[in-house]
Amino acid sequence: MDIFFYLGLTIFSILAVILRDLLKSAISLAVASIFLSMIFFRLGAPIAGVFELSIVAGLIMVLFISTIVLTSNVCEEPSSQTAKTILPLVMAVFIVIDAFIVRAIMGKLVAIPASRETLPFNEILWNIRTFDLVGQIALILAGVAAVLAFFRTRGADDA
Amino acid sequence: MLLFVAFPMILAGLMPLIGKFSKRSLPDILSAITLFILMVLSGLLAAIMNKGVTIHQPMVMGQKLSISLAFDGLTLLLLFIIYLIGFLVSIFSINYMEEYGSKGNYYGLFLLMIASMSGLILATDLFTLYLFLEAAAIASYGLVGFGLGREELEASFKYLMLSAFASASILLGIIIAFAFTGSIDFLGVGSGFLMLGQPKIALICAALFLAGFGMKAALIPFHGWVPDAYTPSPAVLPALSSGLLIKTAGIYAICRIFFNIFGLFGELPSLLIWIGTISIIGGALLAMGQKETRRMFAYSSISQAGYIVLGIGLGTPLGIIGGLFHLFNHSIFKTLLFLNAGSLERATGTRTFSNLGGLGTKMPITSATSLAGCLSLAGVPPFNGFWSKLLIVLALVEVQRYGLAIIAILVSVLTLWYCLIFQRGAFFGKFNTNWSHVKESPFWMRASMVSLALICLLSGLIFPVIIRGWIEPAARIVSSGVRYLLYCAGY
Repeated sequence: MDIFFYLGLTIFSILAVILRDLLKSAISLAVASIFLSMIFFRLGAPIAGVFELSIVAGLIMVLFISTIVLTSNVCEEPSSQTAKTILPLVMAVFIVIDAFIVRAIMGKLVAIPASRETLPFNEILWNIRTFDLVGQIALILAGVAAVLAFFRTRGADDA
Repeated sequence: MLLFVAFPMILAGLMPLIGKFSKRSLPDILSAITLFILMVLSGLLAAIMNKGVTIHQPMVMGQKLSISLAFDGLTLLLLFIIYLIGFLVSIFSINYMEEYGSKGNYYGLFLLMIASMSGLILATDLFTLYLFLEAAAIASYGLVGFGLGREELEASFKYLMLSAFASASILLGIIIAFAFTGSIDFLGVGSGFLMLGQPKIALICAALFLAGFGMKAALIPFHGWVPDAYTPSPAVLPALSSGLLIKTAGIYAICRIFFNIFGLFGELPSLLIWIGTISIIGGALLAMGQKETRRMFAYSSISQAGYIVLGIGLGTPLGIIGGLFHLFNHSIFKTLLFLNAGSLERATGTRTFSNLGGLGTKMPITSATSLAGCLSLAGVPPFNGFWSKLLIVLALVEVQRYGLAIIAILVSVLTLWYCLIFQRGAFFGKFNTNWSHVKESPFWMRASMVSLALICLLSGLIFPVIIRGWIEPAARIVSSGVRYLLYCAGY
């Protein structure tokens, strides 16, 4: 079962990087993050899972949609060959650095109290991280308000 | 107490709908009344609860919510500033935002920014703080590009991109703190780092937080977004951002994290002092050569944020009091100056002050209030800016940092210089007949500017009362260092 989550994460992460359509790329990133949050839950880290889901739902998507809205009228320029070469290189370097960091810190991480980790998702969301829900609502509302402001037509909406 | 976050947030959610029914009056009235009520409430709370730390658990229908809100001198000071500035900018917007239209959408973003900043300062853990910080930032991106012009949208995009680095840096800091302490609440992270005894990890976290919050606080070398975001946007954005956002998302977070969680270890105080000093000098020098009003004040904000960080970074009671008093004063006079810039631009249609001239007779209220703002900014007695700068200089002398004290004084002279260049270019000097059609701003804009100018003067005249009533309790919390964590734990 886990292998599907890992495969899903890898495939959608790569799609997020290589897709030319910005909206599809943003959606791929969101799907990849959902797979990642599933992996967190499977690994017994529901708080990290909740964070991953909330960041995807609240923050990243809002930021990307706002960015896509802001740049939609800008003429498209063909991507340069350099970017195509450098991107996989940067990814490879990042994976190597990441592996070193993880290896270096793995043994030193403080064990997260088991009692909190074993709480069910709804318990964490409603009873422990309640104020975060307010923050997430603020995030989503801010995103919606920003999109509404950018999508409006000056003059028509103002009359 | 949750009211401070929930009330403006609910209203913000309803604003686009309200805006459909009433294009102008209802959004204006609802926003101004809400912010006025919350301003009075926060003022009363500051008078009643200004002792120690109170952890409040809100109740809904007799049931306690699992939300912990921290009320202490620092949060109460900032809460009052947020609602005071929020209310005065809101009444300025009644006339100023007419030309932009879509007031429902505008107040939606505006109130969300206010609600998110309140949530940020009431948060008791790093992740909640981060969530509200992002919400406030997203609302501010919306406000930067609100005019929908190409330049405004480009500025919004640049601001978003640069802020993303700050957010990533803060988030990485939170992740490392969580990984090594097993907690994200202030108490858990602070006590975790104390027990961990690994200053290297704390140093990495501190560096990431300093980069992230330093960018939010507009400190050099993280200041690149400030002039670009402040120049083309509606004038209310720089007023709110310079007056509030860089204080709450930047300086408040620096105080809370570096003093109350990490406890100013190692070279952190020196780092804060040097970043503050470089920002003071760099911001003032960059402001000197500007011809555009808002760009000048944007660089000036960097310089003044430097004063605040320098005072706080000293870590002495007098330095912290000076820094926090300057934070309060800067919120008032910089909001005033950006509103003055908005008033000037609305009347003349130009952002450049150097080709104006002699507008003092045409716009007496804007001229007089901007003079009050400039005198406060430059630290001229009896305005509020003088006393806070004096306290910072005295704190520097107290710890025998004479060189830095001289720099603080000299930059204050530079500040007066560029303020006078602005005053001469815009309001004094020979009247330029091209601007004979110019009229003074409408009533609500004038009311807002006059109120802020009066606060600049009054808070300078009664500064001991303000320091004793609001600044000292806030300074006690900052200087209590990691003992704050014990207060949070109920000791």
